[in-house]
Amino acid sequence: MAILEVQNIEKHFGSTKVLTDISFSLEEGQALSIIGSSGSGKTTLLRCLNFLEKPDKGRICVRGKVLFDAGDPSTQLEGEIRKKRLHFGLVFQSFNLFPQYTALQNITLARELQARERGETKAQIEAAGRELLSQMGLSDRADHYPHQLSGGQQQRVAIARALALQPDILCFDEPTSALDPELTGEVLRVIRNLAEKKTTMIIVTHEMAFARDVADQVIFMDEGIIVEQGDPHKVIDHPKEDRTRQFLSRYTERN
Amino acid sequence: MFWTVTLSLLKGFGAATELFFLTLLLGLPLGLVVAFGSMSKFQPFRRWILYRKKAPGKFLQALAQLRPISALTNIIVWIIRGTPLMLQIIIIFYGPGLWFDNNIWAFGNGRMAACTLAFVINYACYFSVIYRGGIEGVPVGQREAGEVLGMTKRQIFFKVTLLQMVKRVVPPLSNEIITLVKDTSLARIIAITELIKAGEAYMKSNGITWPLFYTAVFYLIFVGILTLLFNFVERKLSYFR
Ligand SMILES: Nc1ncnc2c1ncn2[C@@H]1O[C@H](COP(=O)(O)OP(=O)(O)OP(=O)(O)O)[C@@H](O)[C@H]1O
Ligand SMILES: [Mg+2]
Repeated sequence: MAILEVQNIEKHFGSTKVLTDISFSLEEGQALSIIGSSGSGKTTLLRCLNFLEKPDKGRICVRGKVLFDAGDPSTQLEGEIRKKRLHFGLVFQSFNLFPQYTALQNITLARELQARERGETKAQIEAAGRELLSQMGLSDRADHYPHQLSGGQQQRVAIARALALQPDILCFDEPTSALDPELTGEVLRVIRNLAEKKTTMIIVTHEMAFARDVADQVIFMDEGIIVEQGDPHKVIDHPKEDRTRQFLSRYTERN
Repeated sequence: MFWTVTLSLLKGFGAATELFFLTLLLGLPLGLVVAFGSMSKFQPFRRWILYRKKAPGKFLQALAQLRPISALTNIIVWIIRGTPLMLQIIIIFYGPGLWFDNNIWAFGNGRMAACTLAFVINYACYFSVIYRGGIEGVPVGQREAGEVLGMTKRQIFFKVTLLQMVKRVVPPLSNEIITLVKDTSLARIIAITELIKAGEAYMKSNGITWPLFYTAVFYLIFVGILTLLFNFVERKLSYFR
């Protein structure tokens, strides 16, 4: 059974339709890459999955359980959204680390606030946080504040922060777009490691080669619809649709 | 002579500091209320107009968008910040007696009470603009990061955004508070013997001018202490950006 099933999601902002009939599913341990030009609705889709936006139509199911159904108000109760969010993690394009906390505190803060419901002690949480930092290659940066870290280091802390809550599905929104080119490598390497460890992920990216190598499945979006989806080598190297071909050729020209 | 002058200036200084601290004590929290008012998104007509069967016309559409609390608060803030504090003191003190034939300030500390009221209203409006800048200056990404991490609204406010707001608000607030020290001299317009009036009295009665200049020492020391205090707070908050 798929860990995530997205069915017929539709989203409007006022009178503009940003997502149309988005459906896909994701197996546990797999990585899905979403590519597409600017404004095609990639960010909006991730925000819908993380309950930062409310879809106007459609359903979101995790492990067979309906988390959200636009037609069923009982799935949209304010009080339950917070818990439902924990199925997903989100890594932002602009990191959004908390500036007043150290790298380690950024990672542990939310989990400490949930310590009671999770039945964990502070010491356990801190140990887990340090473990995550070392996984990110940042053991020596635990006590640094975000402004003392490079962009690549900040993004790796942000990834650790999302991982700390052990989400079922980790979403990345263009995790390297805000970075200098020489810093993208270190972040992509970390995500590659996560893929090797069979972390279930959705990665919105403009790094085509990376999308192809890391993902088990690729979705190409244009103007809010899924134009093409399937095996990454097929979609990126041998696209069937004209729109995909045009988009990819613009990419190879630019790079 | 020096000591008698010092003593009487100290008395004026007492009145000035009383006004200063009362304005802060009442104006700082009131400013927060005004800030929330000016940011209110309450649109009472929206539901009623947009969900009717008939399509709304231009006027009703505009009415649906109206945020009456925010609009009203912004008009008040505009009037208070757009007119001199001196005028506001005069209106509040003399207004009731002149227009309603009812001098509500005719009690012992009436002058000081009227003056404090004018100062509190005036400064609350200035503070509200500063608070608003601080609140809106925290990037939405901070709140969203907290939400995605499953934090409650309360937790996000107290653990994430509050300190960032405070950091943003301290520098402009300290400017405003230093201005307030010197604005207390406006109280003399309704015959409150604050510092300047106390000093000037010697010019009229004894024909000496140095007491008037001597008042500057009091302001400078007071502002100096405040500056040290604010620098300390800013340094305490400088460990993050
Ligand atoms: N809050 C909003 N209000 C109104 N329109 C919005 C809002 N957020 C996004 N949009 C619009 O929705 C469309 C899709 O935006 P989105 O950010 O999802 O695109 P994207 O694929 O992530 O683009 P990019 O590659 O530039 O990040 C755009 O046309 C955008 O202008
Ligand atoms: Mg985007």
